[in-house]
Amino acid sequence: MKVLRSKKKEFSEMIEKHQAIIHKVTMVYTNGPADREDLFQEICLQLWRSYPNFREEAKFSTWMYRVALNTAISNVRKKNRDIHFEQLLDNDRMETEPSDEKEQIQLLYRAISKLNQIDKALILLWLDEKSYEEIASILGISKTNVSVKLVRIKRKLEEMIFTQE
Amino acid sequence: MNDKKLKDMWNKAETLLGASDYESSSIEQFISGRTNDTTKKIKTMIIFDLVLKALAVCALAVDFVLYFGTANIMAVTVAGVAILIPLIFMQNKLLNRFSEAADYGQTTRNKLASMLIYLKTKFFTTLLSVASTYLFGFIAGSLVYFYIVYGQVRPLDGIDIVVFITFILIGIGLNFVVNQGQVKYQIKHLETCLNDLNDKNLELVSENIELQRKRDRSNKILLALVLVLGILLLIIVFKNIGFIVK
Repeated sequence: MKVLRSKKKEFSEMIEKHQAIIHKVTMVYTNGPADREDLFQEICLQLWRSYPNFREEAKFSTWMYRVALNTAISNVRKKNRDIHFEQLLDNDRMETEPSDEKEQIQLLYRAISKLNQIDKALILLWLDEKSYEEIASILGISKTNVSVKLVRIKRKLEEMIFTQE
Repeated sequence: MNDKKLKDMWNKAETLLGASDYESSSIEQFISGRTNDTTKKIKTMIIFDLVLKALAVCALAVDFVLYFGTANIMAVTVAGVAILIPLIFMQNKLLNRFSEAADYGQTTRNKLASMLIYLKTKFFTTLLSVASTYLFGFIAGSLVYFYIVYGQVRPLDGIDIVVFITFILIGIGLNFVVNQGQVKYQIKHLETCLNDLNDKNLELVSENIELQRKRDRSNKILLALVLVLGILLLIIVFKNIGFIVK
C-alpha cells in the first residue's frame, strides 16, 4: 500500500512536469472548460494505467503523446460540436490582445475543430514542432504518409484561415 | 506556404488559453478516480465473469460433496466443472488479448486496429462465454439452494423447466443486445479513424479480421455447444431424466 502510494506520488510529479502535453491535446479535442477538465482527468488515468507497459526505449514525452492522443481519439462519448471560443479562451487575458490577433486565434481553433480526429492529431504534433519521424512513431504511419497528409491539412487550414482574413 | 504564420498563431494561442496548471496532488486524485471508458467496462465484464465462473466451479464442487451418492447430480457437477475449467482458461486468454488491445501506450494505428479486430472477432466469443456462466451458475446455485431448503433436489415439472430456460435465454439475449449496441458505435468510430489514418489501413485490418474470424469459428461453435450442453444438464438435473433422485 505504501509502495503504491509513493509510486503514485512520483508518477503525479512526473505528469505535473509534462502536463503541457495534456493541455495541448485537450485544447484541440474538447469544446469547453468542463469537457477539457474531464478529458484531462481521463488522460491522467489512462497514463497511470498504461505506465507499467512504458518501456524506456521511447521518450517519455512521446509515450505521453501516444496515450493522450489515443485517449482523446477513443473518447467517442461526446459528439463534436463547434468550439465556443468565449468558453475556450481566457477572457481576461484576451481582452488585452489586439482584436485582429484575437480573431486569428479564433479562426485557427475553429479551423482545427473542423478537422477529423486523426488530422487534429497530426497538426497538433506538427504545430508542437515534432519531427516527421516522431509524428510517424506516435501515430504508427510512415514518414511519407505524415508528410503527404500534413501538406493537405495545412492547405486546408490556410484556406479556412487566410481566405477569411 | 504560411507555416511560420500558423505556428506563430498556435504559440500565441497557447499563452492565451486559460488552461490552469494542476498540482501533483490534484493529478494524484485524478489517477485514483474512475473512468467511464468502454474498454474499462468490457474489461470489468470479463473479470467479473471470470470470478463468477470460479464461484460456479466452487459451488459445483460443494454440490458434489452435498449430493455424494446421487449418481445423476454427481455426474452433472463433474460435467459442469469439466466444462467450466477450460472456459476459465479461455476467458483468461481473452482477457489478456483484450488488455493488449486496450493498451493506450501503443501507436495510434495499432491501438485502433487491435481494438477493432478484438471487437469484431473476439467480442462475440466473449459474450458467448459470459452467457454460459448464467447456465452453470444457475445449476450450481439451485442445487445448493435445494439442498439447504429441502435436503434434496425437487424435480420440477415441464412448465417450470420451460419458464427457467426462457428466463435464462432472455437474460442471455438481453446481454447480447445491450453489449452489441454499446460497441456498435465504437466499431464505426474506429473504422472511420483507421480510414482517416491511411486509406489502405481499413482494407488491411479487414483482411486480418476475416482471417481471425475463420480461426475463431471453431471456438464459437464449441461455445454454442457448451450452451446447449448446459441446457441439457439443467433438464437432466431438474427433470431427473434416467436417474434416481435421492
